[in-house]
Amino acid sequence: MFDAATDGRSYLRHRAAQFRAQVARRIDGSLTEDEFRPLRLMNGVYLQLHAYMLRVAIPYGTISPAQMRGLARIAERWDRGYGHFTTRQNIQFHWAALVDIPDMLDALADVGLHAIQTSGNTVRNVTTDAFAGAAADEIEDPRPWAELLRYWSTDHAEFQFLPRKFKIAISGGERDRAVIPAHDIGLRLRRQGREVGFEVWIGGGLGRTPLIGKVVRDFLPAADLLPYIESILAAYNLSGRRDNKYKARLKITVAERGLEVLREEIEAEFLRRKAVFSSGAPEALLDELRARFAAPRFRAPDDTGYEIALAANPSFRAWSDTNLSPHRQPGHASVTVTLKAPDMTPGDCTAAQMRLLADLAERHAYSDLRIAHDQNIVLPHVHRSELPALYAALRDAGLATANKGRITDIISCPGMDFCTLATARSIPIARELADYVRARDLEDDIGPFDLRISGCINACGHHHLGHVGILGLDRAGVENYQITLGGDGYEIPSIGERAGAGFPYDQVVPAIGRLIDAYLGLRDAPEERFIDALRRLGAAPFRAALYPEAADGKAAK
Amino acid sequence: MIAPDLETRAARLNARYRNHAAVQVLRHALADPELGRVALVSSFGAESVVLLHMLSVAAPDTPVLFVDTRMLFPETLEYQRQIAAALPLTDIRVIRADDAALAEADPDGRLHQRDTDACCDLRKVVPLERALSGFDAWITGRKRFQGGERSGLDFFEPEPPLRLRVNPLAHWRPQDVAEYMEENALPRHPLVARGYPSIGCAPCTSAVKAGEDPRAGRWRGAEKTECGIHFIGGKPRPVAPLPAEPVSAPRPSAAPLPLRGAGPGPLSKDDEMTTAAPTAPARQPAAAAAGPAAAPADAPVLVRDDGFHPVDTAPDVALPPDSDPAALAPCLGASLVAVEFPAMTDGRGFTLARLLREQGFSGRIRATGALIADQYAMARRVGIDEVQIPAELARRQPQEQWLARADWQDWDHRSRLAG
Ligand code: SF4
Ligand code: SF4
Repeated sequence: MFDAATDGRSYLRHRAAQFRAQVARRIDGSLTEDEFRPLRLMNGVYLQLHAYMLRVAIPYGTISPAQMRGLARIAERWDRGYGHFTTRQNIQFHWAALVDIPDMLDALADVGLHAIQTSGNTVRNVTTDAFAGAAADEIEDPRPWAELLRYWSTDHAEFQFLPRKFKIAISGGERDRAVIPAHDIGLRLRRQGREVGFEVWIGGGLGRTPLIGKVVRDFLPAADLLPYIESILAAYNLSGRRDNKYKARLKITVAERGLEVLREEIEAEFLRRKAVFSSGAPEALLDELRARFAAPRFRAPDDTGYEIALAANPSFRAWSDTNLSPHRQPGHASVTVTLKAPDMTPGDCTAAQMRLLADLAERHAYSDLRIAHDQNIVLPHVHRSELPALYAALRDAGLATANKGRITDIISCPGMDFCTLATARSIPIARELADYVRARDLEDDIGPFDLRISGCINACGHHHLGHVGILGLDRAGVENYQITLGGDGYEIPSIGERAGAGFPYDQVVPAIGRLIDAYLGLRDAPEERFIDALRRLGAAPFRAALYPEAADGKAAK
Repeated sequence: MIAPDLETRAARLNARYRNHAAVQVLRHALADPELGRVALVSSFGAESVVLLHMLSVAAPDTPVLFVDTRMLFPETLEYQRQIAAALPLTDIRVIRADDAALAEADPDGRLHQRDTDACCDLRKVVPLERALSGFDAWITGRKRFQGGERSGLDFFEPEPPLRLRVNPLAHWRPQDVAEYMEENALPRHPLVARGYPSIGCAPCTSAVKAGEDPRAGRWRGAEKTECGIHFIGGKPRPVAPLPAEPVSAPRPSAAPLPLRGAGPGPLSKDDEMTTAAPTAPARQPAAAAAGPAAAPADAPVLVRDDGFHPVDTAPDVALPPDSDPAALAPCLGASLVAVEFPAMTDGRGFTLARLLREQGFSGRIRATGALIADQYAMARRVGIDEVQIPAELARRQPQEQWLARADWQDWDHRSRLAG
């Protein structure tokens, strides 16, 4: 969507042609492998050992039905009939052939999508709240800002070769649904009097050294956004470490140099950059963007059918209770379609499912679709009168699992089954855990529960942010799973703490089972969520449930 | 059913698995009926633990054949026990020459001093051949980067008359091995730290000095480079590669490109944590290799929007990438400042150039170092006027490739926002 200032598609085609030429120049020897590598990375082309993967951006998670069908075509033509939605609003196609990738990029450009800057040491795809423009608690739709940032960061000459990758997230709601404290820069829309601005966080990140970001500016007037962000990046580009890839993220720069030192540098540079930007303030552009993201014209049909269906169909009611979110427009709701049915791999979506969702969005949901960071798909605007028919269609396709935010709505990375970096399996653990809970019919009894799994230390499953996180490691050739407790990506941003020694593969589900039983016994009311009980009681009783022998041992002494 | 024609089978398997990473080659190969009965042969040497670990994850009950020549370092035997205990491999078989044969052919244990080939034959080749007789294929840890006979390796290799060799690590580079060991926290052979990157029998292995080939310590001073077990059934014959996609004919000098992932050539693996700066390609040696006769052609070149120029004036100041951004004032009066890029992936110079312009510098800015044609537009957009490149790069990326990026003012999104 570069059509804000130019025809977006022609820019995307220009980039696809550029990459085609780079592939040819690699083949004819003009580019060495070392030179080609960063170039392909900045076009989203990843190489995992010996297989290429194309990572396509779904900018700020917003995607049209036509674009969704474009992804379905690509999945069928160049991949194995499905794609994998990641926790960063991207979709990945594994097993792409390098020679086909320019054609894939052309096919993406045809529907206004691209893979630019989805890899490499540069500003990555800007992520935001999947409920943007619909959520009841929204201060302002964050997407015009996200799009502005994307437009600015794309091919930004100064920041294509940073010390490491750089992730920006922006959230528009009272409740943070974009996990901004876990990003290099997190932006939270705020209102001060009548002025709109941002609370700016820097230095968050997961991975090997998970750190919660810090607030570097309480209130940044919205008009100053670009010069301020450039100042952060300039300071990082010069002082981020380049000697050690594990120490190269901004979070380490902040930790090592100190927030105060960096803040001074940023503010000093900001004054200079502000002077440059003031000559071309993006107000006109922003207005265009706001118009582009304007809400649809909401209808107000009769919705008695909805009430009747609720009363008549208990499974429809259960689904409504879990998978609908409040909408700012009366009579409407946002619908989450979880890609977490029994037997589904979290985040995987087949071409047929993509087409169905595109059709349903057109038929029932004002043609709007979103990709959420928890690997689910959201129909942000649905009038209640449409819900019974939508539910029926989803149910027939096996996509009406009523588990949003439940313990079975597990965020999981691909792990050993697909990822060459994995040190352990994650998908089978996710499935077995979900089966365990379903077999005991505990899902509703447990209520909201955020469970996340990563298959290695790279933490793509954001396990540190789960109420319970599971990290699969490899200890001398044996899979070993560490459990973390108390993470939270939303209300009170926190990194989960390791509960104790890891568990072998076959002990993970029983351990989580003991944890669940302990919680159900300890909560003071059914409304008290696991995370609340953990905060009230501390980790000790839950640790004791995880490690009964240790607890017995202590008791005996 | 196992196809009788070895070459066809190897070619078909190579085609089937050309897209696959090592782990998948191993995992799928073990389940592929076309391969038949498979064993892993391991020396428990410096890098063996990688394959052993992969196997222990993929199919721990696969037989592992360990050839104990009885001439091994005690460290190797200890290491073998350590790994056997740590990994859940269930079928490790120790292969030895039988006592009678040893007593007969090498009664004093000094055959290796007289005839290493005969010694290897006695202690490795014959016992292993016997042990392998029940298998249709065996897995080896050989890699192309080890060079020599190994540089043309494929994943699958026919071993006449009837067996196949599987080389899952054929395309790995040394850093892949190191990363795999690090990421999986695998124990190192104790001799590696003492300067033995490749480990065989004690009498025939010596330490290797920095800069030497890792296998230089094997049979040092002799012509011998392979012990013979990899020659069972004749010298390795790489299978003729399958026709690649029709692409323009590669220049003979160009390193081959992995067209479909698992192609030949040096590949760089990406992971969530890498993409750190690769070392700048060594351009100087290439230029030097042209010899004194080509000396004038070895002069660096200046690139501007209208093409190549000879280098004219020398810069007044050179800014290294770690220059203090708060102390640029002394440069502001210069007429030509050089901003240095030590590697193409080191983007500090882009910010330094922008800072110079922001602070009102109006002279010329020249980028020096490692920028390539694909970065020309970036350099121009941050206020750099010209890029100085070495002669070798000017030959490899001729003027047209730079002129193609002289359109740097098009699509400059940031300039539309900042004016
Ligand atoms: S966390 Fe590890 S295993 Fe999972 S997707 Fe990321 S890199 Fe792969
Ligand atoms: S490597 Fe040396 S000691 Fe070992 S078998 Fe060969 S010649 Fe004999």
